[in-house]
Amino acid sequence: MNTDQILKDLQNIVGKEFATNSPEDLYIYSQDPGASLPRPVDFVVMPKTTEEVQNIVKLANEEKIPLVPMGGGMTLSGLVLPVKGGIVVDMKRMNQILEINELSRYALIEAGVSTGQLLAYLNEHHPDLQPAIPDAPPSATIAGNVLIHGSGYLSQKYGDHGAIVNGLEVVLASGEVVKLGSCAVSDYWFARGPIPDLVGLFLSSFGTMGIVTKLSVQIFPKPKFREIVFGLMKDEENIPKLLLEITTKEFIEDVILGKQDKPEWMKGYIFFMVYITGDSQEDIDTKIKILKKTYRKNGARYMKATQKMIDLYIEKPIFASGAADFRKGGGFEYVGANMPLEKIPEAYRRGAEISIKYGIPPTLGSRLIGQTHNIVMFFSYSFNRADPDDMQNARNALEETNHLALELGGIPWKGELGAQKLTLQKMDPNYKKMFFNIRQMLDPNGIMNPGNWSEEEN
Amino acid sequence: MALDDVKHIIHRCFRCGYCKFNHSYSDFNCPSYNKYRFETYSAGGRMWLIFGLINNELQWSDNLANILYACSTCGNCVENCRFVKFNEFWVDIIEAARAEAVKNGFCPEKQKNLLERTTNPEMFNPYAEPNSDNEELKKEYNLLDKAEWVYYIGCTSNYRQKDLRDSTLRFLKKAHIDFTLIDEHCCCSPIIRTGQISPVKDFMNYNVEKIKETGATKVITSCAGCYRTLKNDFEKFGVEYDFKLYHTAELVKQLLDEGKLKFKSNYDKTVTYHDPCHLGRHSGIYEIPREVYKKIPGINFVEMKRNREDAYCCGAGGGVKIGYPDWSVEISKERLEEAKETGATVVSSTCPFCRTNLSDANDKFNMGFEVIDLIEILDQLDIEITAD
Ligand SMILES: Cc1cc2nc3c(=O)[nH]c(=O)nc-3n(C[C@H](O)[C@H](O)[C@H](O)COP(=O)(O)OP(=O)(O)OC[C@H]3O[C@@H](n4cnc5c(N)ncnc54)[C@H](O)[C@@H]3O)c2cc1C
Ligand code: SF4
Ligand code: SF4
Repeated sequence: MNTDQILKDLQNIVGKEFATNSPEDLYIYSQDPGASLPRPVDFVVMPKTTEEVQNIVKLANEEKIPLVPMGGGMTLSGLVLPVKGGIVVDMKRMNQILEINELSRYALIEAGVSTGQLLAYLNEHHPDLQPAIPDAPPSATIAGNVLIHGSGYLSQKYGDHGAIVNGLEVVLASGEVVKLGSCAVSDYWFARGPIPDLVGLFLSSFGTMGIVTKLSVQIFPKPKFREIVFGLMKDEENIPKLLLEITTKEFIEDVILGKQDKPEWMKGYIFFMVYITGDSQEDIDTKIKILKKTYRKNGARYMKATQKMIDLYIEKPIFASGAADFRKGGGFEYVGANMPLEKIPEAYRRGAEISIKYGIPPTLGSRLIGQTHNIVMFFSYSFNRADPDDMQNARNALEETNHLALELGGIPWKGELGAQKLTLQKMDPNYKKMFFNIRQMLDPNGIMNPGNWSEEEN
Repeated sequence: MALDDVKHIIHRCFRCGYCKFNHSYSDFNCPSYNKYRFETYSAGGRMWLIFGLINNELQWSDNLANILYACSTCGNCVENCRFVKFNEFWVDIIEAARAEAVKNGFCPEKQKNLLERTTNPEMFNPYAEPNSDNEELKKEYNLLDKAEWVYYIGCTSNYRQKDLRDSTLRFLKKAHIDFTLIDEHCCCSPIIRTGQISPVKDFMNYNVEKIKETGATKVITSCAGCYRTLKNDFEKFGVEYDFKLYHTAELVKQLLDEGKLKFKSNYDKTVTYHDPCHLGRHSGIYEIPREVYKKIPGINFVEMKRNREDAYCCGAGGGVKIGYPDWSVEISKERLEEAKETGATVVSSTCPFCRTNLSDANDKFNMGFEVIDLIEILDQLDIEITAD
């Protein structure tokens, strides 16, 4: 590879100041905040337009250099660290909010728009609308989040964030631009169908199918009132029946549960946070009463929370990054497995055992997707970034947890390379074959984030 | 603060990027990230680079030094990083890393001038002006050697923003403040911010000594940079003093509260206030100047979208004005564009350095504002001040 020439070419495409291979930039882009070991990067480039992305892809194709699209780089599972070197395409300069359609309730945005930016924009200009965003830091992008089947606030009500995608504009490995969703036929980016739904090819494929440059996501009406109703449960066996009953109520927006030793009030219990919505305070008060009864009937009890606590959790997104300092060390990573409800009690029990085995205080949580249609189960491991052994310990715990998730019928979400391999091992061979064939057809030179979803040894 | 003192904190940065934003996430509020856009240029990127240096995974280079210096030390990262147990250290760490750059011979050339000029015995200021011992001014304003107050003018006001200085002098006179001036040497803000700290303690001791000689128990300054340095950095460098420190805005506010100061004419303009980073985020003073503006008769006081803790930096600080003159003015331009949205015709601040940079942008880009310090506005008004 003629490094100087490629740098020059990249600079010609995006401007001198937005392509780099300085050791300092490469050092930063070779690591993410999770537990992965650093992986070398050759260039970082920041395009501003779809055309620039096309030119980058064409160059990479000619030179057979891998491309790794990056949004916020916040998955924690090393998904924006190249496996085979190459160019990290940091999308965050493509950050135009192109349209907010208040009637069809969607946001048409460029791929670099951050979750924080869209949230702030709606708060300021469309205060009756809200985005579905994760608990991730605000620098995470909407694109990065929906493209990994993220989830977050509103997921109980509206499904995971893959489900909110109405359409995509994608630069394929050939350099062609393709539109997917209703925008392929109509001027409106209002729906995914009703045409053959190819959007799914680009979800959870981790940049191996193309680079998304624009997308439309559904946005949602904001409730007038919102409250959190906390509950505590001693015996995790009761989780399924409680969740089944909670989800029969129509005023629920989100359901989050978890188990951790700190703060003190959580110790020994599964805690529940049920976000409810209403039209007035009286309405909310009535609903709280209903939920209290639901808790009582299903092996849990209502917990009165201080206003401070409610305020802390009602802010969206909450400060989930705090887990990075549990071991005073700037890091944590979790296995977020999508799981069927029936296995959740066992996941809590065995997840805690794994934590204890690795000397990490158990930090387990789950979020409901839909009406118990799917549960995202978090097995979180904090580590001290300054201590390589502690990081290795976290990696070991993560690997064991990936095995557990698959054994219980779950699937690791946004999994790091190891989790991807384990998932492929369990995958229906014809699904795998079909996926690899499509990929081969779209990307014959294998430049799109190679090494991800791969059976090769790295 | 040496890098060794904060070694246990640096790696606790998660590189999560809250520090890039203002509180509502509507804007990138780190001027450096806003321009360069690579992760490397955010506070988090810098922390990870410094961690890499400490671990010997990175070596000193001009580029590394440049990344550390392309930061206006505005403190937005301190304000918006949600890790409250240790976020207060970010700017200190950047300054400490710059001190390491200096030690290792990687201080950028332009910033080196600050040290050379400040330590030049003919100058003692970063502007390469012959040192003013302020004796002329003392004569002009009938100031004695001994007084209750010292007005610490600061280099920017004394050598670049003389209107601001003179307005302050006139105000203090009108207010019957018993004050004097000293043969001041630079407060050292520019060399501290750029990591050139070897002479700092001597300079601080010198200034404290000079103040002591006057018998003053109170020191007032019209410069947010001097204020912050005297308030926060002297202690960090182990230099103690027992005088009480005021920014001019604080004195004005006090006189208003005590009913001693009355405005007798109107200021019929629409004014917006730019929070200087040194007075705001670094010293926690947000409301005092606002309360003063709001008491001025006739004024239409309006806020920019980003204000108080969330104010966008003017881009002058941290050695950025000298190191990156074009970029520095672009940052001010962005600030003035935000001011435009308010409908204000006057952009006012309480810092001569902000005034300089905002004026430079105003002129360079024909923004059509009047850029003026609070104390200069007061100087245009008829005021009545009753003595004790
Ligand atoms: C504290 C914390 C809390 C979190 N909480 C949640 C949560 O509640 N819910 C949740 O869902 N996630 C959560 N996450 C995980 C993750 O941060 C988010 O899902 C995040 O939104 C991912 O977005 P990103 O922009 O950082 O993606 P990135 O990490 O940049 O990218 C994710 C994947 O998408 C690919 N990609 C990115 N942009 C493009 C593009 N334009 N075209 C093609 N491929 C692309 C990348 O190659 C990568 O494979 C959390 C993370 C942290 C650190
Ligand atoms: S400085 Fe704070 S907000 Fe910024 S990346 Fe580091 S931990 Fe996150
Ligand atoms: S001090 Fe200001 S410019 Fe420097 S890193 Fe922090 S926010 Fe950015």
